[in-house]
Amino acid sequence: MTTQVTLAAGKSSTPTEPSGTVVLDGVTRRFGETKAVDNLSLRVEAGEFLSLLGPSGCGKTTTLRMLAGFEHPDGGDIRISGTSVLGVPPYKRDVNTVFQAYALFPHMSVAENVAYGLRQKRVPRAEVRVRVAEALELVQMRSFADRKSTQLSGGQQQRIALARALVNKPSVLLLDEPLGALDRQLREEMQLELKLLQSQLGITFVFVTHDQGEALSMSDRIAVMREGRIEQLADADTIYARPDSAYVAAFIGQQNFVVGTLTSSGDAVDTTIGALKAARIDSGLISGDAAQAAIRPEFVRITPAAEPKPTGTQGADGTLIGLAHLGESMQYLVQLDAGQSILSRRPTADAPSVSVGDAVRVSWKPEHVQVFPADGAEVAAGFVRPPKTTHSHN
Amino acid sequence: MRSPRFALAIPAWAWLVLFFVVPVGYVIWFSFGYKPGIFGTHANDVLSFDRYVEALSPTFFQTFLNTLWVGLAGTALCLLIAFPVVYWMAVKVSPSKRGLLIALVMIPFWTNFLVRTIGWQVILAPEGWLSTGLNTIGVLDGPLEILYTRTAVLIGVVYNYLPLMILPLFVAFDRVGAPLREASKDLGAGPIATLARVTIPLARPGIIAGVLLVFIPLMGDYITATVLGGAKGNMVGQLVASQFQTAQNWALGSAMAVLLMLVIALSVAIGAVILWILSLPFRSAHRLVLGPES
Ligand SMILES: Nc1ncnc2c1ncn2[C@@H]1O[C@H](COP(=O)(O)OP(=O)(O)OP(=O)(O)O)[C@@H](O)[C@H]1O
Ligand SMILES: [Mg+2]
Repeated sequence: MTTQVTLAAGKSSTPTEPSGTVVLDGVTRRFGETKAVDNLSLRVEAGEFLSLLGPSGCGKTTTLRMLAGFEHPDGGDIRISGTSVLGVPPYKRDVNTVFQAYALFPHMSVAENVAYGLRQKRVPRAEVRVRVAEALELVQMRSFADRKSTQLSGGQQQRIALARALVNKPSVLLLDEPLGALDRQLREEMQLELKLLQSQLGITFVFVTHDQGEALSMSDRIAVMREGRIEQLADADTIYARPDSAYVAAFIGQQNFVVGTLTSSGDAVDTTIGALKAARIDSGLISGDAAQAAIRPEFVRITPAAEPKPTGTQGADGTLIGLAHLGESMQYLVQLDAGQSILSRRPTADAPSVSVGDAVRVSWKPEHVQVFPADGAEVAAGFVRPPKTTHSHN
Repeated sequence: MRSPRFALAIPAWAWLVLFFVVPVGYVIWFSFGYKPGIFGTHANDVLSFDRYVEALSPTFFQTFLNTLWVGLAGTALCLLIAFPVVYWMAVKVSPSKRGLLIALVMIPFWTNFLVRTIGWQVILAPEGWLSTGLNTIGVLDGPLEILYTRTAVLIGVVYNYLPLMILPLFVAFDRVGAPLREASKDLGAGPIATLARVTIPLARPGIIAGVLLVFIPLMGDYITATVLGGAKGNMVGQLVASQFQTAQNWALGSAMAVLLMLVIALSVAIGAVILWILSLPFRSAHRLVLGPES
């Protein structure tokens, strides 16, 4: 192993993998029997904001730690800016990490924390001062420079951790759930700021989160992970509108799942609440296969049963059993006559006048129905589980 | 608010006064007295500094220097040995195996101090297995002659006091934790820079505790020196003990004990000042004060 290769890492980028590109090529990492990361391939473009999204234990942190150099793959290759970093220790990689617990040095002031990386690179003192001050201004913490790093709130520590990483101008910034410890309001504020900073600086961000809202609002692309592999890699719109699998569909936002079998015509799912038509079915299913239809609550309309059925829709009758105010929207839980319960969400401004106990009708357009093979949704969190019913429709 | 808290502290104060202040007070008081005849141990009707003058006679002074040498060298050796061992235990070994290693460090402690020291007497004897072994493999020609020397005392004290260095050091290193070391490496610091700028500064209280825990009892130790030191490896502890027990001269023994305490306190203070001065350039090199916004 030569240090030459690593020192040149920032410059030796190839035309196909310019500086800031991250490539994982069939990477596997085992811990005993468990494969934390399983033959994972991924390419992060230079200057891109990519989120690794997935439930707890799916291998997000392990993937990030391999990029940082704290874990080593059992197989596969990792290239940063076109150069393989296998065997390159963390302190020789042109990446910096914002740790989940921030890991600020308690025996140093805020400014000394931020200066740490520059001092390791033997940057002249005068330049250190200037760059530390700039980095602190970037995260709006300049006035805290001479405080002890232990005398800061969670949000302030988070900003310092960010400044400490960014001051080094790495080609890639790794962030492991950096907003996880913040309260909701602060988190949303920081999401905006972080995204703004990233587009301002043009640094590649690899952002780990298990919060789908966070991933959707910040990322250029999202890699949804499942058991050490990537289930789908696409931009937020695609992930939201055209998930590849029930797992992704269930993990991003909420879903009403209705199980059944694919009809002989192949364009609908036969369920206890009728044949649910879908505009598009492209998951390789054939007639008679067990399938599940998925409809997002925000696409489910709700009307009083007495009103005429909205045109161009299909739906079912039921009773409103729950109503919740979510601020911008209202959420309705409807018990269908067929036994299934359905969640609906309507903008508050456009909320139908129904109350709990009313007979209502839920309806949706076929283009909002997605069809997936019957398995796979159970693993993901945050969806309405279809009731375990075996009654056949007649 | 104040009185209940004060009341809670009474047992601690009582303990300190009864078992520390009073005995030490007696020793100081005796040290200004004299030995009244063959059968008395101490008398204080005439007070003087004569016992101190007596204690500082050239022979005793030589023993003081010897004690200081063993104390400093022993503590330094304990630190030098414990440091890499603890670094390895707290940083390199997987957390699940650390408990076992700590237990192994503690095992010698389960046997009596005296027995352990006599064990070394057997090992270091000119006809002991170490001597024979070294002769067999050709490292040594003739018997090993370190028993009843200062070197033997040094070996004994390092062996006896090493766990007292390892334990606080381990706790301190362990508490620094992997995340901070990883953050340091992430920011471009290699293993040595990480050790110097993160691990050691944060483990400093534990290092100081270890040094004091070894140095202070070691300065007053007389068992190790008695068993392994013979005439050449004399230590002040032995002199104090012999004045109290053999010579029955409590006044002189007390003066020696007071001098020993003073030497210990002075060494610790001087050591602290030297370390502080040595660390000044290091501190100023890493200090960064930006001051208020311009
Ligand atoms: N050092 C380790 N030793 C043993 N198993 C590990 C280790 N680190 C991770 N694992 C295992 O590897 C798998 C992936 O862990 P990882 O920390 O990457 O998950 P994650 O996606 O970051 O989860 P979370 O959202 O909870 O942080 C888990 O099953 C975990 O138990
Ligand atoms: Mg994690």
